[in-house]
Amino acid sequence: MSIDWREYRTDRFWDELITPKGRPRPGAANLCRVLGKLTDAELEERKTAAALAIRAMGITFTVYTGEGSGSIDREWPFDIVPRLIQKREWDAISAGLVQRVKALNRFIDDLYHKQTILKDGVLPAEYIRNSREFRPECIGIDPPHGVWSHVCGSDLVRDHEGTTYVLEDNLRVPSGVSYMLENREVMKRVFPELFEEYMIHPVDDYPDQLAACLRSLTTVRSPQIAVLTPGIYNSAYFEHAYLANAMSAQLVQGSDLVVGRDDRVYMRTIEGLVPVDVIYRRIDDLYMDPEVFIPDSMLGVPGLMRAWRAGNVALANAPGCGVADDKVIYTYVPEIIRYYLGEEPLLPNVPSYRCVDPTEREYVLDNLDKLVVKPANESGGYGMLIGPKATRQERSQFAREIQANPRNYMAQPMLLLSTAPTLVDRHAEARHVDLRPFILSGSSTYVTTGGLTRVALRKGSTVVNSSQGGGSKDTWVVDAE
Amino acid sequence: MTAHTLSSTAERAYWLGRYLERSETTARLIAVHANLLMDLPKRIPLGWRPLVEITGNLTLFGELFGEVTERTVCRFLINDPRHSGSLLSSLSWARENARTLRGIIPKHAFEYVNEMHLEARDGLSEPLSRSRRFEGLSRIGEHVQRIDGFMSANMMHDAHWRFLRIGQFIERADMTTRVIDVATGSAWQSATGLEVFADIQWRSVLRSLYAQHSYNTSVGEPITQGPVIHFLLNHRGLPRSVAYGLNSVRNSLRGLPRNELPMRAVNRMLRQLGQTAVQGLGGAELSAYLDQCQIGLSEIHDAVRQTYFDFRPRQRRASGAGPARTTRTG
Repeated sequence: MSIDWREYRTDRFWDELITPKGRPRPGAANLCRVLGKLTDAELEERKTAAALAIRAMGITFTVYTGEGSGSIDREWPFDIVPRLIQKREWDAISAGLVQRVKALNRFIDDLYHKQTILKDGVLPAEYIRNSREFRPECIGIDPPHGVWSHVCGSDLVRDHEGTTYVLEDNLRVPSGVSYMLENREVMKRVFPELFEEYMIHPVDDYPDQLAACLRSLTTVRSPQIAVLTPGIYNSAYFEHAYLANAMSAQLVQGSDLVVGRDDRVYMRTIEGLVPVDVIYRRIDDLYMDPEVFIPDSMLGVPGLMRAWRAGNVALANAPGCGVADDKVIYTYVPEIIRYYLGEEPLLPNVPSYRCVDPTEREYVLDNLDKLVVKPANESGGYGMLIGPKATRQERSQFAREIQANPRNYMAQPMLLLSTAPTLVDRHAEARHVDLRPFILSGSSTYVTTGGLTRVALRKGSTVVNSSQGGGSKDTWVVDAE
Repeated sequence: MTAHTLSSTAERAYWLGRYLERSETTARLIAVHANLLMDLPKRIPLGWRPLVEITGNLTLFGELFGEVTERTVCRFLINDPRHSGSLLSSLSWARENARTLRGIIPKHAFEYVNEMHLEARDGLSEPLSRSRRFEGLSRIGEHVQRIDGFMSANMMHDAHWRFLRIGQFIERADMTTRVIDVATGSAWQSATGLEVFADIQWRSVLRSLYAQHSYNTSVGEPITQGPVIHFLLNHRGLPRSVAYGLNSVRNSLRGLPRNELPMRAVNRMLRQLGQTAVQGLGGAELSAYLDQCQIGLSEIHDAVRQTYFDFRPRQRRASGAGPARTTRTG
């Protein structure tokens, strides 16, 4: 069986390519026609070509096996059916992302200076006091351009009505952009004819844009840029090496760097110590400098914070930027945008209910069977209630906790994530997808063209992580046909 | 922006070179020695002890096994995890260094190193019959030659490449002096002192350094101690001679910055080598001279380390470097 679009079922979800009536969405007609014409053998051939390209290009991700130094490199799971986004729609999303990141950077800068937003009562001060990501060590620092989160990867989802929401903002060390770039390379090899038919907006200027963004953080004329990685056992090592290479920057580990008595950062090379001006760090704040944070961190560089505070090295992203990357703060992003920019948010948050508000709390308590309840200060899905899947007992337990400690909780409706056609054996089936675009902020702002589309390869699943059965697709921003 | 070579990756390249070379020579030594024992009459009690002497780890061997037998020595030298100088230790350190050089050495080079490690781990595990041992050991040589050739043909001949070569040739020169030292040492001499077996012994030494054919074609003298030692130490065309190794180290150093200190150490040793008439040395004199050679090599190693790897104000050894060989005790 080759792909027969008449048999493709979108169910109750929004599909990115096909309307509920089985027609291609605007812009997708050519793609659907080309795919539909491929025979089984041809489909198999394209799939093999993609797998070979991925192997030849060495696109891998690292999976921990848990035993000793155990981690293995797996080839990147890739689906050859691209996800399409209309240029017009993308421009609107892109503007919303720029607005959002601009406001978030203003917010972080305010928190480490005058804290006017707290004084004006827009956000309760105790949320910041209790935040695990607030770093008192950063108070009073003025990073260049007032920017703290230079590379932001926001996760976007679309619901069954077609509305795009921001699910979360990854302001610390978001990864995935190298896969976005490699996916495009693979697609060019596998479907060259489609690139002739379509005006597909290119994505490959990202490394240059990232390098320009990093250069804008220093006044040094031709600065030495380094990418700081935790090393080969990190799951994103492929990306660290990829970006360093694409930017002609130096890939370093903590032990390659040293901070001198002059509070400058140097790397140890065979020529001797070479000054480093900008560090794109891909390790977490707390591991960055054992003098200031976790004292026995082997990944960090003693004195790095000293050098940063003295303005001798730029760190991207700046330490402490994670304070705005927090579940409860997230619910305030629309207010944050209004407060700093005096604008209405262009991109909606997933509707969220703060349990501290009496009316919203009442709604949450009445609708626990329909909602996902998230604790304020936990991460990684810990301590969540997934209402529709929970038992009556679990729900009443949560109800008591919410009433006892309303400030600690927020709730969101269960989203019906959109789908995109994905090759399963030799036909197309709907699988859930999300989208992670990347936003660069330095002296100017840049948004990737599209982003990384992640797809949950298991039927019905919404887990898009590559370590748990997730894959990815190339994302095409196209002009209307 | 110019590309810099980090001290850490330079150091790993250096150790990759050393461990690859050490794996190959260790495998070769064991195979050749086993072969030699078969050629010697039973009444000559040469045994397996000289092999342990070559590694310089007699004390550890004594602690672990005590009794010198074919089985204990082979276990010690091939796959004992407690012995950092065992073949499998060298192979796994080679692998670890290659792995942490991802993006610097060609991808296939790592895969080949990995393959060699896996094959040896499975193929050289106990119990090991003599024929399987022989087969497994000769495969190591083939693997290393493949890796070496692949890197030489496909890797950028940049600073990392130079460090790899420096490591390889220091290790090679070191092994050549050790082999001569043991062959002229007391165990071999008393065992094979009988004239009739002397040529068997020196032929075996030449064979363990892949040098028998070269000797025959370029020296043209009978195989006896004086000319063989001179050949192995001084011949500039023999890839495993000490002089060749030093010249190669010198050539690699030429393309590196700040090379004064290591260059001085190499030149000093080359001078010494040129000034000594080794053919005439015997017994204690020769032994002292060989000790001098080893000290010279370790001075070169130290000069390289101090200049390029360990000048950091703050120390913590790159974890992938692995242990250096312990200094010789015998």
